[in-house]
Amino acid sequence: MTSLDAHRVVDAVWKMESARIVAGLVRMVGDVGRAEELAQDAVLAALEQWPEAGVPDNPGAWLMAIAKRRAVDHLRREERRDRGQERLAHDLVTHADDGARDVDGVLGALDGEVGDDVLRLMFVSCHPVLSTEARVALTLRLIGGLRTDEIARAFLVAESAVAQRIVRAKRALAGARVPFEVPSGPERAARLASVLEVIYLVFNEGYAATAGADLMRPSLCLEALRLGRVLAELTPGEAEVHGLVALMELQQSRAAARTGPSGEPVPLHEQNRGRWDPLLIRRGFAALLRARESGGPLGPYVLQAAIAACHARAATPEETDWPQVAALYEALVRVLPTPVVQLNRAVALAMAYGPRAGLTLVETLTGEPALKGYHLLPAVRGDLLARLGRHGEARAEFDRAASLTRNAAERAVLLRRAAACAGDAGPAEAVKAGRTGQAGPARTADTRGAGEAGEVVKAGRTGQAGPARTARVTAATPGGRRSAGAGVTLGDAMRLFLARPGLSAGTVRSYDQTLSRLCRHLGGEFPLRDVTSHLVAEVFAAAWGTAAGATWNRHRAALRSFASWAAEHGWAVAGLAAALDRRPEPRTRTRPIDRSLLRALWERPETPLRERTLWLLLYESAAPAEWALSLDVEDLDLPGMRGEVRARAHRLRWQSGTAALLPLLVGDRRRGPLFLADRRPGPGRMPPAADLCPHTGRGRLSYERAEYLFKRATRDLDPESGGYTLHRLRHSRLAHLGEDGWSAPMLMSLSGHTGARTLHGFVRVPRPADTVS
Amino acid sequence: MRFLMTTKGTDPNPDAAMLAEMGAFIEEMTRAGVLLATGGLEPGVRMVSSAGEVTVTDGPFTEAKEAIVSFALIEARSREEAVELARRFWRIVGDGEGMVQQVFGPEDVPGPGPR
Repeated sequence: MTSLDAHRVVDAVWKMESARIVAGLVRMVGDVGRAEELAQDAVLAALEQWPEAGVPDNPGAWLMAIAKRRAVDHLRREERRDRGQERLAHDLVTHADDGARDVDGVLGALDGEVGDDVLRLMFVSCHPVLSTEARVALTLRLIGGLRTDEIARAFLVAESAVAQRIVRAKRALAGARVPFEVPSGPERAARLASVLEVIYLVFNEGYAATAGADLMRPSLCLEALRLGRVLAELTPGEAEVHGLVALMELQQSRAAARTGPSGEPVPLHEQNRGRWDPLLIRRGFAALLRARESGGPLGPYVLQAAIAACHARAATPEETDWPQVAALYEALVRVLPTPVVQLNRAVALAMAYGPRAGLTLVETLTGEPALKGYHLLPAVRGDLLARLGRHGEARAEFDRAASLTRNAAERAVLLRRAAACAGDAGPAEAVKAGRTGQAGPARTADTRGAGEAGEVVKAGRTGQAGPARTARVTAATPGGRRSAGAGVTLGDAMRLFLARPGLSAGTVRSYDQTLSRLCRHLGGEFPLRDVTSHLVAEVFAAAWGTAAGATWNRHRAALRSFASWAAEHGWAVAGLAAALDRRPEPRTRTRPIDRSLLRALWERPETPLRERTLWLLLYESAAPAEWALSLDVEDLDLPGMRGEVRARAHRLRWQSGTAALLPLLVGDRRRGPLFLADRRPGPGRMPPAADLCPHTGRGRLSYERAEYLFKRATRDLDPESGGYTLHRLRHSRLAHLGEDGWSAPMLMSLSGHTGARTLHGFVRVPRPADTVS
Repeated sequence: MRFLMTTKGTDPNPDAAMLAEMGAFIEEMTRAGVLLATGGLEPGVRMVSSAGEVTVTDGPFTEAKEAIVSFALIEARSREEAVELARRFWRIVGDGEGMVQQVFGPEDVPGPGPR
């Protein structure tokens, strides 16, 4: 066997076995990074020996045996070094303190429960202390056995970036002392959701890129499917796991029909259903059945799979059971209330009950910040308007959608539809054009990989304009319209406005940004006199609704300037910018958390006492989380509502919220850390005595853990859904106090900031009236 | 990549231990998300088309031992992986003969996507 052959065989065997080998090793040595190093040692040994000695009879077992031997050597060395500390197999949750922690015992334990180990490894790789990218990379690496270069190629990033991501992820897991376990109770559900999210992310990464030349990306779909199937076998009672598998099987069943001869995407309703893979469809149905048998309320994956199944069941697009699809979207909206899901629901409603039903729902979405710049919103709206015969409005929507998409093919289709509308299409064409596609996998507000949602737009193909119509469109160009007395268009006014003498280049650039956006949204042909303050406010909300105050104010100032100029010329209504309020500008990069969100957080009944106290304390004291966590019971002055951070010679002060909770949290304790960890530390990693509670034996709550808990609890409040940081909680307090008129010295004395400079973002500085900065 | 693993001419009377081992192997392949479909086959009928004439012949044949007796459709990431799985299969079955063939899906067949 040549060494190249050996290399390929080792690679194949490694991919098949890596999850089990690494999982078993993590159980032995308690550290993901170390476990992977040991496993890689075994791979190197195979590469050395197999070309000479041939591939062993059972290569997987061979690799496992070598890796285990290396692990034992490693543990013996550790044992010698930490004699008396019994580090061996620390943190084996299932085999905690039985005193018989000899190597053989560990090895014996290692031979059972392999599946459980793989499941634990999945939960660790998808741990919330890691960023999403890190979770994905680590999961593909540890469970999928993919090499760093393969992951890099699949995600179109540099190999060094992936390598670093993985190194940092392993370090973060070790730093946070993430236990090798499948959590129980509500945490299990949250962590399982994270595992599912990672798998679906991997799937979509491949799904969105099927047309790519590199096979690595489409094969990500199969990798995700494989991970999903493995997970389904390990957690057979979880409906959502089967739901995700069903969803992926059904979507993958269309892989061959999703692209045309030159790689262009083909919308669901134009796909050749004969090319759908019946085997995967059947597997999808079977997985969906298993999900239903698992019971419980229908979760987002099960519902999305059920929608995909509706399409799979229809032999032709016309046979699609749209009322059923609409009903499923209705249920989905309840568990996944994102604007993108709503938009998909609107399409389904329109297909089931007519365009008016869909349009009513779409109208409620026009101000959604999450859909800002999302070309499918105007595309769907345009389609529905066209079907209702409102061609003028439809045309503006298609124009807007065309300006928002970055895909040239899509833009061409949309522009053609716009032209068709301008040609005053007859009712027959309106019906034809109305054959829209369905919006595909309902997603969260992540518009990046919109998947089949793009199919809605493609329906426009049926409404192409013929040559005669094109000629009529030309007649309706801006010049022609103006001479007909229709007034100045938005686009013309913008050009005139920017061409005025005396404007600096910077000002022109800045004004141009604002006005171009307005033109893109409303259409350059929009008559200026029809622009209302309400329309402007809607565009602003969609374009910059979530932008920082400074950005908002800059665009607002530009628009005010434009509005007064246009009003002077009698081209626009007065008070065009009246509906836009100036926004406060905290000049910090940390945006404050909204007060109402925090109020909602304090009022949540399910928050444990420890977390509730810590969060309120941090908010009320505006102190760094490290300081609050370093507090000991004996540092507290409960009647004085303050505590001493001895290391910093600083007094932390709190208010009535914390004061009401602290006595409950302290209970009978007299000394030791105020905030305690959930469990006692293992013998292998005993913290210093000062961090141990003499009453309960538990350790001090770590910053990492506290951060994780806060992030997890606030994930549903955060529009970016990553959850908030403790740092941001503290800064929110400073920002709120600044808004309430606190001065810099007052904030310094409360928060422990030593310089006024770092507080500038929070203190209101009077600024001259609106200027374009 | 999909592969069809077929066997022919294995021991016609497998013992219980082998069947149990095979059951465990199939279970493991399912758990690993590898196995898409599997089954056993009877010798069946043989069809030959020659000069427009289709001849259908019933079994059994004298060459019955060459009939395919089982198949497994698997999803693997590489040919090497498929071969490795087949090796594990043959370690259980013992002597015999078989094939590992890549199955081209609709995505591998050139042709128009949309109708």
